[in-house]
Amino acid sequence: MTTTLEQIRTQDTYQINGKTFTSRLLVGTGKYPTNELMGECLEASGTEIVTVALRRVALDKKGEKTLLDFIDPKKYTLLPNTAGCYSAEEAIRVAHLARATGISDFVKLEVLYDEKTLLPDPIATLEATTILVKEGFTVMTYTSDDPVMAQKLEQAGAHAVMPAGSPIGSGQGVLNPNNIRIILEKLKCPVLIDAGVGSASDVAMAMELGVVAVLLNTAIAHAKDPLKMAYAMKNGCEAGRLSYLAGRIPKKLYAQASTPLKDF
Amino acid sequence: MNIVVNGENKDFPEKITLEELIQQLGVRKETVVAEVNRQIIQLDKRAGLNLAHGDQVELIQFVGGG
Repeated sequence: MTTTLEQIRTQDTYQINGKTFTSRLLVGTGKYPTNELMGECLEASGTEIVTVALRRVALDKKGEKTLLDFIDPKKYTLLPNTAGCYSAEEAIRVAHLARATGISDFVKLEVLYDEKTLLPDPIATLEATTILVKEGFTVMTYTSDDPVMAQKLEQAGAHAVMPAGSPIGSGQGVLNPNNIRIILEKLKCPVLIDAGVGSASDVAMAMELGVVAVLLNTAIAHAKDPLKMAYAMKNGCEAGRLSYLAGRIPKKLYAQASTPLKDF
Repeated sequence: MNIVVNGENKDFPEKITLEELIQQLGVRKETVVAEVNRQIIQLDKRAGLNLAHGDQVELIQFVGGG
Protein backbone atom coordinates (compact mmCIF):
# COMPACT_ATOMS: atom_id res chain seq x y z
CA MET A 1 0.00 0.00 0.00
CA THR A 2 1.31 3.40 -0.92
CA THR A 3 1.75 5.85 1.92
CA THR A 4 0.06 9.14 1.19
CA LEU A 5 1.49 12.54 2.00
CA GLU A 6 -1.35 13.04 4.46
CA GLN A 7 -0.43 9.83 6.30
CA ILE A 8 3.21 10.89 6.50
CA ARG A 9 2.17 14.27 7.86
CA THR A 10 -0.19 12.98 10.51
CA GLN A 11 1.92 10.04 11.64
CA ASP A 12 5.18 11.96 11.85
CA THR A 13 4.77 13.33 15.35
CA TYR A 14 7.20 14.24 18.09
CA GLN A 15 6.96 14.72 21.83
CA ILE A 16 8.19 17.30 24.28
CA ASN A 17 8.01 16.06 27.87
CA GLY A 18 5.26 13.60 26.92
CA LYS A 19 3.10 16.05 24.98
CA THR A 20 2.66 15.15 21.31
CA PHE A 21 2.90 17.64 18.44
CA THR A 22 2.61 17.38 14.67
CA SER A 23 3.60 20.82 13.38
CA ARG A 24 7.35 21.30 13.43
CA LEU A 25 7.19 25.05 13.24
CA LEU A 26 7.06 27.07 16.46
CA VAL A 27 6.14 30.70 15.93
CA GLY A 28 6.65 33.79 18.03
CA THR A 29 4.03 36.47 18.60
CA GLY A 30 6.24 39.58 18.76
CA LYS A 31 6.84 42.45 16.31
CA TYR A 32 3.70 42.07 14.16
CA PRO A 33 2.13 45.27 12.80
CA THR A 34 -1.20 44.24 14.36
CA ASN A 35 -2.50 41.46 16.59
CA GLU A 36 -5.10 40.59 13.95
CA LEU A 37 -2.37 39.91 11.38
CA MET A 38 -0.44 37.92 13.97
CA GLY A 39 -3.47 35.67 14.50
CA GLU A 40 -3.80 35.10 10.75
CA CYS A 41 -0.10 34.32 10.44
CA LEU A 42 -0.21 31.76 13.25
CA GLU A 43 -3.11 30.07 11.49
CA ALA A 44 -1.32 30.11 8.11
CA SER A 45 1.89 28.73 9.59
CA GLY A 46 0.10 25.66 10.92
CA THR A 47 1.94 26.08 14.21
CA GLU A 48 0.84 24.35 17.41
CA ILE A 49 3.25 26.02 19.84
CA VAL A 50 3.52 29.80 20.10
CA THR A 51 5.95 31.79 22.19
CA VAL A 52 4.72 34.67 24.32
CA ALA A 53 6.39 37.09 26.71
CA LEU A 54 5.40 38.57 30.07
CA ARG A 55 5.47 42.29 30.74
CA ARG A 56 3.90 44.84 33.07
CA VAL A 57 0.32 45.81 32.30
CA ALA A 58 0.21 49.32 30.79
CA LEU A 59 -2.02 51.05 33.34
CA ASP A 60 -2.89 53.89 30.95
CA LYS A 61 -4.36 51.47 28.42
CA LYS A 62 -7.02 49.86 30.57
CA GLY A 63 -9.76 47.90 28.88
CA GLU A 64 -7.77 47.34 25.69
CA LYS A 65 -7.64 43.89 24.15
CA THR A 66 -4.78 41.73 25.31
CA LEU A 67 -2.69 39.18 23.46
CA LEU A 68 -4.89 36.35 24.70
CA ASP A 69 -7.84 37.86 22.83
CA PHE A 70 -6.01 36.86 19.65
CA ILE A 71 -4.53 33.50 20.69
CA ASP A 72 -6.74 30.70 21.91
CA PRO A 73 -4.79 28.77 24.58
CA LYS A 74 -7.02 25.76 23.86
CA LYS A 75 -5.81 25.70 20.27
CA TYR A 76 -2.14 26.54 20.81
CA THR A 77 0.32 25.43 23.46
CA LEU A 78 1.67 28.64 24.93
CA LEU A 79 5.42 28.73 25.40
CA PRO A 80 6.19 31.71 27.65
CA ASN A 81 9.72 33.01 27.22
CA THR A 82 12.11 34.61 29.66
CA ALA A 83 13.37 37.08 27.05
CA GLY A 84 15.09 40.10 28.47
CA CYS A 85 16.36 38.27 31.57
CA TYR A 86 20.05 38.63 32.31
CA SER A 87 20.33 36.40 35.38
CA ALA A 88 19.09 32.98 36.47
CA GLU A 89 17.07 34.64 39.27
CA GLU A 90 15.20 36.93 36.89
CA ALA A 91 14.47 34.09 34.47
CA ILE A 92 13.18 31.87 37.28
CA ARG A 93 10.91 34.70 38.50
CA VAL A 94 9.44 35.14 35.02
CA ALA A 95 8.89 31.38 34.71
CA HIS A 96 7.02 31.41 38.03
CA LEU A 97 4.86 34.33 36.86
CA ALA A 98 4.09 32.52 33.62
CA ARG A 99 3.03 29.37 35.45
CA ALA A 100 0.87 31.43 37.82
CA THR A 101 -1.36 32.30 34.86
CA GLY A 102 -2.51 28.69 35.01
CA ILE A 103 -2.24 28.45 31.23
CA SER A 104 1.08 26.71 30.68
CA ASP A 105 3.94 25.07 32.52
CA PHE A 106 6.14 25.26 29.44
CA VAL A 107 8.98 27.75 29.48
CA LYS A 108 11.32 28.88 26.76
CA LEU A 109 14.28 29.61 28.95
CA GLU A 110 16.64 32.27 27.73
CA VAL A 111 19.14 33.97 29.97
CA LEU A 112 21.04 36.56 28.00
CA TYR A 113 24.54 37.92 28.50
CA ASP A 114 24.63 41.17 26.54
CA GLU A 115 22.22 43.34 24.63
CA LYS A 116 24.18 43.69 21.41
CA THR A 117 24.63 40.01 20.57
CA LEU A 118 21.71 38.62 22.62
CA LEU A 119 23.92 35.60 23.13
CA PRO A 120 22.98 33.42 26.10
CA ASP A 121 24.91 33.37 29.36
CA PRO A 122 25.79 29.66 29.40
CA ILE A 123 26.47 29.39 33.14
CA ALA A 124 23.28 31.19 34.21
CA THR A 125 21.30 29.25 31.60
CA LEU A 126 22.53 25.94 32.98
CA GLU A 127 21.77 27.03 36.55
CA ALA A 128 18.22 28.14 35.69
CA THR A 129 17.58 24.97 33.66
CA THR A 130 18.57 22.77 36.61
CA ILE A 131 16.26 24.64 39.01
CA LEU A 132 13.23 24.90 36.71
CA VAL A 133 13.40 21.21 35.77
CA LYS A 134 13.39 20.33 39.49
CA GLU A 135 10.38 22.61 39.95
CA GLY A 136 8.39 20.64 37.41
CA PHE A 137 8.46 22.98 34.42
CA THR A 138 8.72 21.75 30.86
CA VAL A 139 11.96 23.49 30.03
CA MET A 140 12.97 24.30 26.47
CA THR A 141 16.33 25.99 26.67
CA TYR A 142 17.75 28.52 24.22
CA THR A 143 21.50 28.14 23.85
CA SER A 144 24.35 28.86 21.47
CA ASP A 145 25.31 26.12 19.00
CA ASP A 146 28.09 24.86 21.27
CA PRO A 147 27.82 21.04 21.35
CA VAL A 148 29.35 20.80 24.84
CA MET A 149 26.83 23.27 26.30
CA ALA A 150 24.00 21.44 24.58
CA GLN A 151 25.08 18.21 26.30
CA LYS A 152 25.35 19.93 29.68
CA LEU A 153 21.80 21.24 29.30
CA GLU A 154 20.49 17.81 28.44
CA GLN A 155 22.25 16.37 31.48
CA ALA A 156 20.59 19.09 33.59
CA GLY A 157 17.24 17.73 32.45
CA ALA A 158 16.20 20.18 29.71
CA HIS A 159 13.19 18.75 27.87
CA ALA A 160 14.38 20.34 24.64
CA VAL A 161 17.63 22.03 23.70
CA MET A 162 17.32 24.91 21.25
CA PRO A 163 20.55 26.13 19.68
CA ALA A 164 20.46 29.41 17.78
CA GLY A 165 21.09 29.10 14.05
CA SER A 166 22.52 32.62 14.18
CA PRO A 167 21.90 35.68 16.40
CA ILE A 168 18.28 36.41 17.39
CA GLY A 169 16.45 38.41 14.73
CA SER A 170 19.50 38.49 12.42
CA GLY A 171 18.01 36.44 9.58
CA GLN A 172 21.38 34.88 8.79
CA GLY A 173 20.10 31.30 8.77
CA VAL A 174 22.03 28.36 10.22
CA LEU A 175 25.64 29.54 10.20
CA ASN A 176 27.31 26.41 11.50
CA PRO A 177 25.45 23.31 10.35
CA ASN A 178 28.31 21.11 11.52
CA ASN A 179 27.80 22.14 15.15
CA ILE A 180 24.10 21.32 14.79
CA ARG A 181 25.04 17.91 13.31
CA ILE A 182 27.30 17.20 16.29
CA ILE A 183 24.58 18.29 18.74
CA LEU A 184 22.09 15.98 17.00
CA GLU A 185 24.56 13.11 17.19
CA LYS A 186 25.16 13.61 20.92
CA LEU A 187 21.70 14.45 22.28
CA LYS A 188 18.70 12.19 22.80
CA CYS A 189 16.25 14.94 23.80
CA PRO A 190 14.51 17.02 21.11
CA VAL A 191 16.79 19.57 19.44
CA LEU A 192 15.18 22.62 17.83
CA ILE A 193 16.72 25.49 15.92
CA ASP A 194 15.69 28.66 17.70
CA ALA A 195 16.51 32.04 16.22
CA GLY A 196 18.34 33.41 13.22
CA VAL A 197 16.11 32.00 10.50
CA GLY A 198 15.43 34.46 7.67
CA SER A 199 13.53 32.63 4.95
CA ALA A 200 11.69 29.43 4.10
CA SER A 201 14.86 27.92 2.63
CA ASP A 202 16.62 28.48 5.97
CA VAL A 203 13.87 26.49 7.69
CA ALA A 204 14.07 23.73 5.07
CA MET A 205 17.83 23.51 5.50
CA ALA A 206 17.54 23.36 9.27
CA MET A 207 14.94 20.60 9.03
CA GLU A 208 17.14 18.66 6.57
CA LEU A 209 19.83 18.54 9.26
CA GLY A 210 17.38 16.47 11.31
CA VAL A 211 16.30 18.87 14.01
CA VAL A 212 12.91 18.12 15.51
CA ALA A 213 11.49 21.58 14.78
CA VAL A 214 12.31 25.22 14.11
CA LEU A 215 11.27 28.24 16.19
CA LEU A 216 11.08 31.63 14.51
CA ASN A 217 9.43 35.02 14.90
CA THR A 218 11.02 37.97 13.11
CA ALA A 219 11.29 36.19 9.74
CA ILE A 220 7.49 36.15 9.51
CA ALA A 221 6.60 39.28 11.49
CA HIS A 222 9.00 41.56 9.61
CA ALA A 223 8.59 40.06 6.14
CA LYS A 224 7.15 42.48 3.55
CA ASP A 225 4.06 40.26 3.50
CA PRO A 226 3.94 38.34 6.80
CA LEU A 227 0.97 36.19 5.80
CA LYS A 228 2.64 34.93 2.61
CA MET A 229 5.82 34.28 4.58
CA ALA A 230 3.85 32.31 7.19
CA TYR A 231 2.62 29.98 4.42
CA ALA A 232 6.13 29.81 2.96
CA MET A 233 7.57 28.83 6.36
CA LYS A 234 4.98 26.10 6.80
CA ASN A 235 5.82 24.65 3.40
CA GLY A 236 9.56 25.10 3.86
CA CYS A 237 9.35 23.26 7.16
CA GLU A 238 7.36 20.37 5.71
CA ALA A 239 9.63 20.16 2.64
CA GLY A 240 12.73 20.08 4.82
CA ARG A 241 11.28 17.42 7.10
CA LEU A 242 10.21 15.20 4.20
CA SER A 243 13.57 15.68 2.51
CA TYR A 244 15.31 14.60 5.74
CA LEU A 245 13.07 11.53 6.05
CA ALA A 246 13.51 10.69 2.37
CA GLY A 247 17.32 10.81 2.61
CA ARG A 248 19.30 12.93 0.19
CA ILE A 249 21.72 11.56 -2.41
CA PRO A 250 25.39 11.82 -1.58
CA LYS A 251 27.25 14.78 -3.12
CA LYS A 252 29.67 13.72 -5.89
CA LEU A 253 32.53 15.58 -7.53
CA TYR A 254 31.70 14.51 -11.09
CA ALA A 255 28.58 14.37 -13.18
CA GLN A 256 26.43 11.26 -13.34
CA ALA A 257 24.11 11.18 -16.34
CA SER A 258 20.41 10.99 -15.63
CA THR A 259 19.72 9.67 -19.12
CA PRO A 260 21.30 6.43 -20.45
CA LEU A 261 24.14 7.44 -22.80
CA LYS A 262 24.39 4.16 -24.75
CA ASP A 263 22.16 2.21 -27.16
CA PHE A 264 21.04 4.95 -29.52
CA MET B 1 -2.16 55.45 51.45
CA ASN B 2 0.54 55.05 48.86
CA ILE B 3 0.96 51.83 46.90
CA VAL B 4 3.51 51.38 44.15
CA VAL B 5 1.87 49.71 41.13
CA ASN B 6 4.16 48.70 38.28
CA GLY B 7 6.69 51.26 39.47
CA GLU B 8 4.17 54.15 39.71
CA ASN B 9 3.15 55.75 43.02
CA LYS B 10 -0.62 55.61 43.41
CA ASP B 11 -2.94 56.83 46.13
CA PHE B 12 -5.60 54.47 47.47
CA PRO B 13 -8.08 54.50 50.37
CA GLU B 14 -6.93 53.03 53.68
CA LYS B 15 -8.62 49.66 53.28
CA ILE B 16 -8.19 48.00 49.94
CA THR B 17 -7.67 44.39 48.91
CA LEU B 18 -5.57 43.32 45.95
CA GLU B 19 -8.71 42.30 44.08
CA GLU B 20 -10.26 45.73 44.64
CA LEU B 21 -7.08 47.45 43.48
CA ILE B 22 -7.04 45.43 40.26
CA GLN B 23 -10.71 46.25 39.73
CA GLN B 24 -10.20 49.98 40.39
CA LEU B 25 -7.36 50.12 37.88
CA GLY B 26 -9.64 48.62 35.24
CA VAL B 27 -7.32 45.69 34.61
CA ARG B 28 -8.89 42.43 33.46
CA LYS B 29 -8.34 40.17 36.43
CA GLU B 30 -8.36 36.85 34.60
CA THR B 31 -5.49 37.71 32.26
CA VAL B 32 -3.20 39.26 34.82
CA VAL B 33 -0.68 37.78 37.24
CA ALA B 34 -0.18 39.72 40.46
CA GLU B 35 2.83 40.01 42.74
CA VAL B 36 2.89 41.85 46.04
CA ASN B 37 6.35 42.58 47.38
CA ARG B 38 7.73 39.99 44.95
CA GLN B 39 5.39 37.24 46.14
CA ILE B 40 2.99 35.84 43.54
CA ILE B 41 -0.62 36.03 44.76
CA GLN B 42 -2.88 33.42 43.20
CA LEU B 43 -6.22 34.48 41.73
CA ASP B 44 -8.28 33.00 44.58
CA LYS B 45 -6.18 34.71 47.29
CA ARG B 46 -6.53 38.27 45.96
CA ALA B 47 -9.86 39.07 47.63
CA GLY B 48 -8.50 38.13 51.06
CA LEU B 49 -5.28 40.13 50.80
CA ASN B 50 -5.38 43.59 52.41
CA LEU B 51 -2.73 45.90 51.03
CA ALA B 52 -0.61 48.13 53.26
CA HIS B 53 1.02 51.53 52.79
CA GLY B 54 4.20 51.20 50.72
CA ASP B 55 3.37 47.79 49.23
CA GLN B 56 4.89 47.10 45.85
CA VAL B 57 2.37 45.60 43.45
CA GLU B 58 3.29 44.21 40.05
CA LEU B 59 0.60 43.39 37.50
CA ILE B 60 1.93 41.31 34.64
CA GLN B 61 0.33 39.91 31.51
CA PHE B 62 1.21 38.06 28.33
CA VAL B 63 2.41 40.16 25.42
CA GLY B 64 3.86 39.27 22.05
CA GLY B 65 7.33 37.75 22.12
CA GLY B 66 9.65 35.41 20.30
